[in-house]
Amino acid sequence: MRTGRKTQEGALVEMDGSFGGHLLEVRDLAVEFNTDYGDVHAVNGINYTLDQGESLAILGESGSGKTVSALAIMGLIDRPGRVASGEIVYKGVDLLKLSGTERRSIRGSEISMIFQDALSALNPVFTVGDQIAEMFRVHRGNSRRDAMAKALELMDRVRIPSAKERLRDYPHQFSGGMRQRVMIAIGISLDPDILIADEPTTALDVTVQAQIMELLAELQQETRMGLILITHDLGVVAEVADNVSVMYAGKIVEQGSVGDIYARPSHPYTERLMNSLPRVDRKSGRLDPIKGSPPSLMRIPSGCPFHPRCPRARFPVCRGEVPPLRVVAAERLSACHFAEEVLGDAG
Amino acid sequence: MPDDEPLHGPDTLVEDEDEEARLEDAMARGATGGLQVESATATAAAAEGGVSDYQASLWGDAWRQLRKNPLFLAAAVLLILFTVMAVAPGLFTSRDPQAADLSRSVETPSSSHWFGFDIQGRDYYTRVIYGTRVSLIIGLLVVGVDIVIAIILGSIAGYFGRFWDGFIGRMADIWFALPTTLAGIVFLSVMGERGLLQVSFVLIFLAWPTLMRLMRSSVLAGKESDYVLAARALGASNWRILRVHILPNGIAPVIVYGTISVGIIISAEAALSFLGVGLQLPAVSWGLMISGAQFRILQSPHLLLFPALFLSTLVLCFIIIGDALRDALDPRLR
Repeated sequence: MRTGRKTQEGALVEMDGSFGGHLLEVRDLAVEFNTDYGDVHAVNGINYTLDQGESLAILGESGSGKTVSALAIMGLIDRPGRVASGEIVYKGVDLLKLSGTERRSIRGSEISMIFQDALSALNPVFTVGDQIAEMFRVHRGNSRRDAMAKALELMDRVRIPSAKERLRDYPHQFSGGMRQRVMIAIGISLDPDILIADEPTTALDVTVQAQIMELLAELQQETRMGLILITHDLGVVAEVADNVSVMYAGKIVEQGSVGDIYARPSHPYTERLMNSLPRVDRKSGRLDPIKGSPPSLMRIPSGCPFHPRCPRARFPVCRGEVPPLRVVAAERLSACHFAEEVLGDAG
Repeated sequence: MPDDEPLHGPDTLVEDEDEEARLEDAMARGATGGLQVESATATAAAAEGGVSDYQASLWGDAWRQLRKNPLFLAAAVLLILFTVMAVAPGLFTSRDPQAADLSRSVETPSSSHWFGFDIQGRDYYTRVIYGTRVSLIIGLLVVGVDIVIAIILGSIAGYFGRFWDGFIGRMADIWFALPTTLAGIVFLSVMGERGLLQVSFVLIFLAWPTLMRLMRSSVLAGKESDYVLAARALGASNWRILRVHILPNGIAPVIVYGTISVGIIISAEAALSFLGVGLQLPAVSWGLMISGAQFRILQSPHLLLFPALFLSTLVLCFIIIGDALRDALDPRLR
């Protein structure tokens, strides 16, 4: 069914598929939460595309809107939140125009999601085998026996040792890494076209993190699914992503391939993010954090939302004008008035 | 319903029993379970040793704790005894509870007639034994139906929220304003015939709001959990999320309070019968017996003592079991 080889260029090369354009196209998506204290603008008009076999990392601090944008794709924004505008086009169909039942049939089988904390994302009162098997019983109507057999296969596939014995264990009897493997098994059980991983390694040890990312990368190569990786971990991004979208205050501020962005950031925020990483090659062991804290999403600063924390900010332009996300180099988008300057300094 | 595959819950419950059995095996063999083994070799080795079948679930853990609670065990044994009494009173007495011999009226206890005789000269021991059935049936029936009502209304109110939450919540508020005994007297006194079903109906009608509120709060807490979000992200329907993810995790407090309220309902039935608005003669009920004894307390105290003793023991059993269940099911109290 799925042909075509994984290309290094990932998203930027048209893939053959049964449909014309991209596998997933998010257009001008905005999500807001109408609370008693005011409107929280969690996502403010983001655009990105995902193709078959592509890994897209969405990078950003807590509160930058990355998880909310993923939940919007899944159709899981609850009151008081709502998708204020935009389109989420999956295989040529705008998901936002579908009925609740239609969306539900897509969730899990075509677009699937795994969560940060696998222990709380698994139901404590059922065995992991039951929970993996549930997918086949709900969506495929398989018998209990068949579903269990498939669950066992999946546990082998995500390399849980002695899967047969562990099928009847409860989530709390697994270690963090193994639990995340179970979550991944559930996520990929129905062979989805898109897997959204929301900080899949945040709750794990560094060594286990690497194993989980490796597993995700391998599964993705096997199944050619599109992977959206939501993370704040620059290391995780570098390992598996093809392309990166950097989010700040509900907006995408920079977009490009992972190599390019790491080598030469074109937005001051990305640049500062890279500098804030702990590095062994720096003499003083002191960290270099981004000064200040992310803005309240109820009162996003005027102009460029990053300007109060930006070392390159120049007034009045940065405070007065919202910088559009524009092409600043080959296959690079940046939302900075002075992107060329940032690029130049990096190079 | 879109997903009408075989029920998930009952299967799992059956399995839990299996697991308990296997757990007992493992413990009998002196296994030290509970170890989480990650590496393949360790697990495999443990499996070969036949001791890796350690299973733990909420109810499994609760059972392990309950087995070590002497108060619970005593109450459970007594409850089993009462149940046998209710199902097969013939095992405890060969006499007829309605056979009267007026010549022996209000005779005091003796070695051949342990509890003596009532005013009609009926063997009091036999009548007390036969009275168990009514109390147990009313207690279990009322609480059983109320738990079902609580699960249905509580789930709707907690899960769907908004209008239904407001509607059901306000209904419960109105119900709470009714004093149970007073309302029971009012409702029952207008009924022409007052049998087991009528009394049960009135008690069911009056007792549902507390259990419903408990269920609602459980559902509210469960709805916010990550595994419910995950289940939604994986395409589960509302019905399935409620049934598979929220109910099994939220039912424990309702079961606990339900157990305690069986005792409360049994004493409420006795109270209504005592006040003359519960069951009617010739029904055999502890409440009626106590009521009949009220004017002869000084002359024939045994008429009050024995049914009251049985009544309080049965009520106490349910309350102790409910308490023990609560302690066992709430991990924070361990």
